[in-house]
Amino acid sequence: MIGNVIKYEQDNIDTDVIIPGTYLKIHDYNELATHAMEGLDPEFPSKVKDGDFIVAGKNFGCGSSREHAPIALSTCGIKAVIATSFARIFYRNSVDGAFLLPIEVDDETYQKISNSDKLEINIEKNEIKNITKNETYTMKPFSEIIAKIIAAGGLFKYKK
Amino acid sequence: MTETLFEKIWNSHVVVEKENEPSLIYIDRHLIHEVTSPQAFDGLRANHRDVRRRDLTVATIDHNVPTTDRSLPMIDETSSTQIKTLEKNCKDFGIKLFGINDPNQGIVHVIGPQLGITLPGSTIVCGDSHTSTQGAFGAFAFGIGTSEVEHTLATQTLWLEKPKTFEILATGKRKNSFAITSKDIILSIIKQIGTDGGTGHVLEYRGDAISDLSMEQRMTICNMSIEAGSRAGLIAPDEKTFDYLNHRKYTPKNYDELVDDWKNNLMSDANSKFDKSFTIDVDKIEPQVSWGTNPAMVSDITGKIPTPEEFGQNNEIQIESAKKALLYMDLKPDTPIIEIPIDRVFIGSCTNARLEDLKDAAEIVNGKTVNADVDAMVVPGSQMVKMEAEKLGLDKIFKDANFEWRESGCSMCLGMNPDILKPGERCASTSNRNFEGRQGSGGRTHLVSPVMAAASAIAGHFVDVREWC
Ligand code: SF4
Repeated sequence: MIGNVIKYEQDNIDTDVIIPGTYLKIHDYNELATHAMEGLDPEFPSKVKDGDFIVAGKNFGCGSSREHAPIALSTCGIKAVIATSFARIFYRNSVDGAFLLPIEVDDETYQKISNSDKLEINIEKNEIKNITKNETYTMKPFSEIIAKIIAAGGLFKYKK
Repeated sequence: MTETLFEKIWNSHVVVEKENEPSLIYIDRHLIHEVTSPQAFDGLRANHRDVRRRDLTVATIDHNVPTTDRSLPMIDETSSTQIKTLEKNCKDFGIKLFGINDPNQGIVHVIGPQLGITLPGSTIVCGDSHTSTQGAFGAFAFGIGTSEVEHTLATQTLWLEKPKTFEILATGKRKNSFAITSKDIILSIIKQIGTDGGTGHVLEYRGDAISDLSMEQRMTICNMSIEAGSRAGLIAPDEKTFDYLNHRKYTPKNYDELVDDWKNNLMSDANSKFDKSFTIDVDKIEPQVSWGTNPAMVSDITGKIPTPEEFGQNNEIQIESAKKALLYMDLKPDTPIIEIPIDRVFIGSCTNARLEDLKDAAEIVNGKTVNADVDAMVVPGSQMVKMEAEKLGLDKIFKDANFEWRESGCSMCLGMNPDILKPGERCASTSNRNFEGRQGSGGRTHLVSPVMAAASAIAGHFVDVREWC
């Protein structure tokens, strides 16, 4: 999986900035996506490209249980969020619905990755290659359960 | 082997358990609202599945509803569609709905306990993170995502990884139990353990300072467990719990038998082991006011806005986030909290809009008038709360003081219905989240208790509410 980084040097990026409450009424994913990250970075929908990754600090996705948050990001084309930690419901929503990969890295890796870097993520090897900088990092492996859900393509498919 | 309360509830609900796999957990109650359910019903239809236990499923409409005159047509078409969609889904699948004109309508986490749907020892889910509120009754109550709503509708079970346990021991006695509320206790806890302090854990609040609280005050504490990142929060049931749930609309017929059983079983065993523990002495707690953009950015009322460096304590990211928060909140370091002027006051939400909250706020307001520069509103947590409050004449006290008195709903807690802050407006709010834009784009939220909100509405700025009673 190869993509470019959109980095937000922040902790606690919450679900209210990922998709503000006023848009939770929207049923159509494509329309929802036009408001992704609006609370933090209104330019986001215009600059994001299919296959991009978001990089951020700790406790990404804290706040509400709205599945609209990973849906909005994934519909924009975000394939993974790389953060030093995640809020649990966001993490589970992302994996359960197979919307995007929540990838945990240590602080040092987080510091090393810059905005616009091109990365290659390899979840079999738990490895992130920074093509721009010619560096390689390790990611925190998924727990066995999470890995199985991801491999199956979401919670429903996993338990079929 | 000793077990904590959470482990007892978990173990009694396991349907399937295998090592290194999630467990299949039976769900006793499933509450539904209009925002997180439409896709789940679409999924059921697409897969030709039915609702497995409609008798254990109830729905209400809270997030979108206007809180003004509901006999008028709704202006917002998308909200109106979302509400109609839930009405249709409930009708098609035979689910009990407390709709927009039902006397039992209200915020989902407020009506569950009020109707006696919430029971000790049970598992309760809702597609809403503040489901943790109902943990105050000794239930494992937690928010789920929309895929999980669909899974619960179809199977009445959920695959879950077992959370770890976290004891929050609250000792001592509050110096002023009217002015220092359970909201101040939970804000102090989050200030100390952080917004991710509880990640992966279920919190159990224990100790004399917790037993001392009424059920409604306990709900405020459990409500905000999620703001510390935890999966859920709970409190062992006691006589107050059993009294509260007795004689409610859906209280089970064999209630006395159940109570006997709960009394014998629903507590953490002596010497049971928690994965983590934190102690807080409530003697030392002052009224709290949040100053930043997450619920750990909180100060004592006698304090000042910290500098980013004081707040961040050598952590670069924290320092940066405090800088950003101060910019967003338009606040300068070293400003005394009591000097911060406010434009709006919101007394409402599933955190603090139950009868006691309104009673306490009314006691502060009685005979006074809202500051001329402030717009203040009270939004009861449910229509039942509203009715009870009106019986006590609280509506009159608020209205005489120039507060608006509204119909129940989530209202200005989340900026998805007509009640929102204008950009730049500063609000003293009894809700639970002060994230950027939470109450409306550009709006600035300060989280406080109902008595603090009431006193600030009168004064026009934050005050040490201990001096008001
Ligand atoms: S009152 Fe606020 S926190 Fe509570 S359910 Fe409604 S929107 Fe969520």
